[in-house]
Formats: sequence, structure tokens, C-alpha cells
Amino acid sequence: MEYAIECFDLHKSFGTHKIHKGIDLKIVKGAITYIIGPSGTGKSVLLKQLCGLMSPTKGKVIVNGQDITVMKPEELVNMRKTFGILFQNAALFDSMNVYENVAFPLVEHTKLPKNKIDAIVAEKLRLVGLSNIEEKMPSELSGGMRKRVGLARAIALEPEIMLYDEPTTGLDPIMCDVVDNLINDTQKQLGITSIVISHDIESTLKIADYIAMLYDGKVVLYGTAEDFKTTDNPYVKQFFSASKEGPIKIM
Amino acid sequence: MEKVLSFFGRPLVNIVEVAGHMALLFYSTIKLVFKKPFRTKLLLKQIEFIGANSMSVIILTGSFTGMVFAFQSYIGFHKFGADQLVGTVVALAMARELGPVLSAIMVAARAGSAITAEIGTMKVTEQVDALNAMAVDPVHYLFVPRILAGLIVMPMLNAVTVFFGIVGGYLVSIKVLGINKTLYLDYMYTYIDFEDFANGMIKSVVFGGVVTLVGCYKGFMTRGGAEGVGRATTESVVMACVLILIFDYILTAFMF
Repeated sequence: MEYAIECFDLHKSFGTHKIHKGIDLKIVKGAITYIIGPSGTGKSVLLKQLCGLMSPTKGKVIVNGQDITVMKPEELVNMRKTFGILFQNAALFDSMNVYENVAFPLVEHTKLPKNKIDAIVAEKLRLVGLSNIEEKMPSELSGGMRKRVGLARAIALEPEIMLYDEPTTGLDPIMCDVVDNLINDTQKQLGITSIVISHDIESTLKIADYIAMLYDGKVVLYGTAEDFKTTDNPYVKQFFSASKEGPIKIM
Repeated sequence: MEKVLSFFGRPLVNIVEVAGHMALLFYSTIKLVFKKPFRTKLLLKQIEFIGANSMSVIILTGSFTGMVFAFQSYIGFHKFGADQLVGTVVALAMARELGPVLSAIMVAARAGSAITAEIGTMKVTEQVDALNAMAVDPVHYLFVPRILAGLIVMPMLNAVTVFFGIVGGYLVSIKVLGINKTLYLDYMYTYIDFEDFANGMIKSVVFGGVVTLVGCYKGFMTRGGAEGVGRATTESVVMACVLILIFDYILTAFMF
């Protein structure tokens, strides 16, 4: 099996607070991997370490065969073009309209003429099910629309690996389904590797090819959706049954 | 003993740390100024924001300072019968000291705070991470246009402040205090040199750098939501004003 990202014995601390205590995880190329776990287990921190936005205290992160933890800042900047990231609140630039947001990576990293950029922006917005909103400012959009614009921006440069930070949090059930389908469709149409951080058990089991559950700074279980449905792992069982009784301590 | 050491030591360590961090950021900003792509549009936008939009505040500050200064110095000079020297003193003080310092403090309050609030908000809403994620260096994208604009615009604002200060002083002296116009101007031309204006210009370039660098740095270091942005903005104005006064002393001592 080919891996897009591999991390070995990843440790991360903020001051004396240990977030990760040795994470080993391999992300299969061309598949959708969900990272789940209770709040505060460092899922977003893990995501940021996978793409080099944060460096681990100890351990290695291998992206396409290269250790990104020893890269120079310039190499790291170049490496990041491999990634598209959808942030939790979409992180749209609020001083720019939708068109400028989606066109931003194209303007920064390509020398395409304006009409080509226009066409790509329109196509990406169509892909996420939005049209005729190019002139709107992010503050005029609903949460679901912002996430979709964020996704259009993230896939503008056609990244090899797409990272989603809690894409369905704060959305209504219908919008959740729309975003789930988007993740699935983006994956199918572009054939990219996707990593999704989520609390949403239903979408996880529906879409994930592989799932990793984090708790107390470690991966407690890694496997397919089927493995997770049939496992006896007490952490997973408690998390899936949404019960406060079990080994997971409430923080 | 340990307590005493930590009481005095901790703030000292903090100051050294912040100073070092800011110096490094300034160094990397200057290095990045010459790196492509040149973001002319962003630079012009910042020049408009820091410069053109500060104009009304700067004109008011300059004129009123000049007017007040004419009144105050008249009290002293009148006692010696040297009324005609009021113009010289107003022009000298405006050009060497009040112009650069007051314009910089006004810009710190108006534009420096806005820079911190904008970058701080971008930081806490992950927009800075988004820049990084899209392989765009935030220092290159956010710092360079702002700091460059500060360095370019501040001397111009200083010139406007000094000009309106001198005009304000002149109007009060001639129209209100009734000082002889010919003598007033004659003394002013005789005793004011180009060097006086040049000194003020050098100061204002440094202050322009200080205000925008502090604004960017404080914004970039913002943590913790809306409250964090508020705190960073206040700290940015206070720090910029204090640094302006400290650098003013250092520069004055060097150029004395």
C-alpha cells in the first residue's frame, strides 16, 4: 500500500502540557481517512503538524517520502503547495470578496491570465454548488456557504492532499450531508488523498475508508469503518455510543 | 532572594525577548522587501490608509500645536521684548521635535492600532494560518507592504505637520498677537536651517518604521479571540508611543 503521509512517534507539548505522546499513523494515498476523538485531544494540532504549519516537539512526519520536520522554511513553503486545507471556520480573507478569495492561490502561485483564472474560479465554485456569488463578501455568507467557498479556495490549485478541520461542525443536518457529499465527490473527481477531522460519527462511518481514533495523545484504534463497527475497544465503544460512562475521562 | 531576582528578572527577560523578536522580524521584513512578487497594489493601499487617510488628523494636530506654541512662547519672549523670535522658536520646535513626534503618535493611535487589530483578527480567525497553508509567507504578504508604507509616508506626514504648525504659529502671531510681520519672517528665515528640517525627516522615517513594525508584531502575536485582539491593540499603541519617545531621545542625542 502506498502512503501519502507517515508519522512516527510524534510528540507535541505546549509548555508542560503534553498533547501528543507518541503518535504513529500512516495515511493511505488516494483514500479518505477520518481522525476522530473527543474534544481537546489535539486533532487540529495533529492536522497542523501533518502539513508543517506546526512542528512537533519530537518525531518525524514524512510527506511523499520527505521528512518535513527537518525542512528549511523555504522548502516547507514549497511543500505546502501539496496541501489544500479547509479550516474550521473556513478562514476566508474577510477583506476580499468570494472571487478574490478563490482566485488568491492562483494569483499568488501561477502566471495564468485573468480570463483563465476567472474560468477556474467559476468552475471550482460550481464544483462546490455555488454560483453567482463572486461579488459577495464573506460576512454576507451563511456558515455552510463559507465552508464551501473555503473548499473551492482549497482545491483551486488542485492539491494532492486535502485536509478538512471539522467540516460539518456548526452546520444543520442537511448542510452536513451536502458537505459530506462534497468531501466524497471532491475525492472521487480529483482522486486526491483526504484527511478529515470530525466528531460526527454518522458521516465518519458513511464516508471514511480508514479511521483513526485519538485519545490521551495516542492513536487508540486505526482501521476501516467495518473494523470500528465491530470492535470491542472500550474507548471507541464509549465514543460511538455517546455515553459518559467508560474509560474516556470528561475534561 | 529568589523572589526578588524573579521580580526584577522576569520583566527584563521579557523585554529582551520582545526586542530580539522584533529585531528579527524587522530584519526578515527588510530582506523580503526585495523578494518577488512585489505587491504594488497592497503597498499603495497601505500608503492610502496610513498616509492619505491620516491627513485631516495630521493637519489639525499641526495647526493647533503651532497656534498654541505661538501663544506660549510669546509669554516668555514678550518679557524680553523679543516678540519677533516667536516664529523662529515655533518653526524650530515644529521641524526638529513636535512635527515628527506628534505626527508619529497620531499615526500610532490611528493606523498602528488598526494594523494590530486587522492582523490580530486574521491571526485568531486562522486567516494567517490560511496564508501559510497556501504557501504565502505572512511576513511577506502582511508586514512588507505596511512597514514599507510607514517608512515612505511618515516623512510626508511630518512635512505636512511642520508646514501647518508654522502656518498656525504665523497666523496667531501676526493676526492675534500683532507681532511685526516683516521682522517675524526675517528672523525665521535667518535662524532656521535646512538641517533642522532634515533632522526631523530622519526621525520621522525611524518613527514610521517603529509604528508599523510594532503594529504588525503585536497583531501577529495576538492570542485568544476578541479579548486578545483588544488587548493587543491597546498594547500596540502604548508600546509604539513609548518607543517613539525613547527613539526620539536617542536620535536627538546623536544629531545634537
